[in-house]
Amino acid sequence: MKKLGLIIDKYHLEKKAQEFIQYMRDKCELSQYIEETYFVDYKEHNFDEDIFFVKGKGDLILNFAKLLERATDIPVINSTKGIWFAFNRFLNSTLLRKAGIRVPEFSLNPKDDKPPFQDYIVKNVRDQDNYAFDPEVQIINNHVIVHDKRALEETYEKNALYNFLYYQEYIESEFEYKIYGVGENLYYYKQKPLLREPNKMKTRTKIEPITELGEIAHKVMELLDLKITSLDFLNSDDNIYYLTDVNSTPNFNYMSNGPQIIGEYLLSQAKR
Amino acid sequence: MKIGILSKRETGFAEKMQSYYEEKGFEVTIYTSRNLTVNKMLLENDFYILKSKQLLFLYAGYFLKANNIPVIPDPSISYKHKHRIESYYSIRNVGLNTPDIYLGTPKTIKSQFKQLDYPFIVKPLMGSSSEGIRIIKNSADFDSDENKILYIEKFIDGIHYLSYFIDKHICVGEKQPLKNEHSEVKIVPPDEDIKQALIKWRDKYNLLFGHLDMIREYKTNNLIVVDSGTFPEFTNWKIIIDPVSTICNLILERYREMANIV
Repeated sequence: MKKLGLIIDKYHLEKKAQEFIQYMRDKCELSQYIEETYFVDYKEHNFDEDIFFVKGKGDLILNFAKLLERATDIPVINSTKGIWFAFNRFLNSTLLRKAGIRVPEFSLNPKDDKPPFQDYIVKNVRDQDNYAFDPEVQIINNHVIVHDKRALEETYEKNALYNFLYYQEYIESEFEYKIYGVGENLYYYKQKPLLREPNKMKTRTKIEPITELGEIAHKVMELLDLKITSLDFLNSDDNIYYLTDVNSTPNFNYMSNGPQIIGEYLLSQAKR
Repeated sequence: MKIGILSKRETGFAEKMQSYYEEKGFEVTIYTSRNLTVNKMLLENDFYILKSKQLLFLYAGYFLKANNIPVIPDPSISYKHKHRIESYYSIRNVGLNTPDIYLGTPKTIKSQFKQLDYPFIVKPLMGSSSEGIRIIKNSADFDSDENKILYIEKFIDGIHYLSYFIDKHICVGEKQPLKNEHSEVKIVPPDEDIKQALIKWRDKYNLLFGHLDMIREYKTNNLIVVDSGTFPEFTNWKIIIDPVSTICNLILERYREMANIV
């Protein structure tokens, strides 16, 4: 029987991965490395897993995965490179734009400067913690201004992490397109954007593949070295798709048969 | 030619470089966190000097590099030498010794070690100075936050060296443990293994200048690298070579190579 190592934090373990774990218990031997209770000794290189699955992006998770990548030949999905690019919004936007993938205009500005566009969203600089986007929306002189509450906290509160803000140009779109990528396979959904419908999941529907989005999704996964991902797109008034978010730890419970699809894919990538 | 310097302050080595280049007729702007906006406006300069490795400046460096503007030192190398885990692997890749390193919460760390295993050093995961560094002599020295992820290293008992290099020039000083670059050092002639370590490090990562903090362990006499940096202030550079003009000229030379200017 193959052995899968699950590198995870308590939040994902309790809230997101139970169905996956249950499914995998019948399919393989499963070991768990939980961020809050695992101790990483960089001299320790003896692991007998056939594959590791990283479900989280905390510092211990990421740096334990680095040890596995450097010191063993066991596949690690997603790679630390992919996770790092996914949560560093500015870096993935920079890299994607360089590769010709359309992303909204973006900028990093000192916290008291005005951004270079009139309609914008302030997002957290690094999307590393377990936190859902919590927007405050304002319409000022017909311009849409959205602040994620945590982004402001991270910059303006007493123990501020940053003295700058990440701005992304706001794209008006009737739907948000969510593409899940699992290896070569893509799964297409659409829903109302959060700013139009607070309970956006209620509006989610499975859709037929959109060739253009599929091509972009494969390119993004290759560029960022992501084997499992979810990508968010908006479709502007002039019918252009913009990639607005890259996620390295998607909630696959929202896909039909998500835990099974992920589980079977991981086992297909195991080293034996 | 227009040069940008990405630096957390307008003073110190950044200011000296600015003066040197301006005297040579270059136009120089220092970008600190107060005036640095990272978007296409930055592309107006011919090249950039990455003096600081704080996140904002690293982002700027990556952005510039992605837009084909030369950045010296290279932002990827600067990141790797600032991040403790990346730096651990970078040092070991050159065949140099490192302390044993660990990651965990105070709770898991305490459960792993006996009193005899202490002391350890706690360091921030991102950082290359003495900021945020402290010694843990026993399990009671940990913070009360039992869930915070900590990076720790085995404390090495020995002689601490601050070792700079600029091109082929080397300056080594003995310093007090856990003190930063600016504290008092006693300049000493470099031992052969210290020289060799600096040369290996410089050549492997194609560096023009930098520093390594090393400890000669009393128990084994081994040389152990505990910190690295791509752009120190050179406060304790005490040999005859002038660091400012030498570094400015090395950077210009590197820029010309990168831009294919003969």
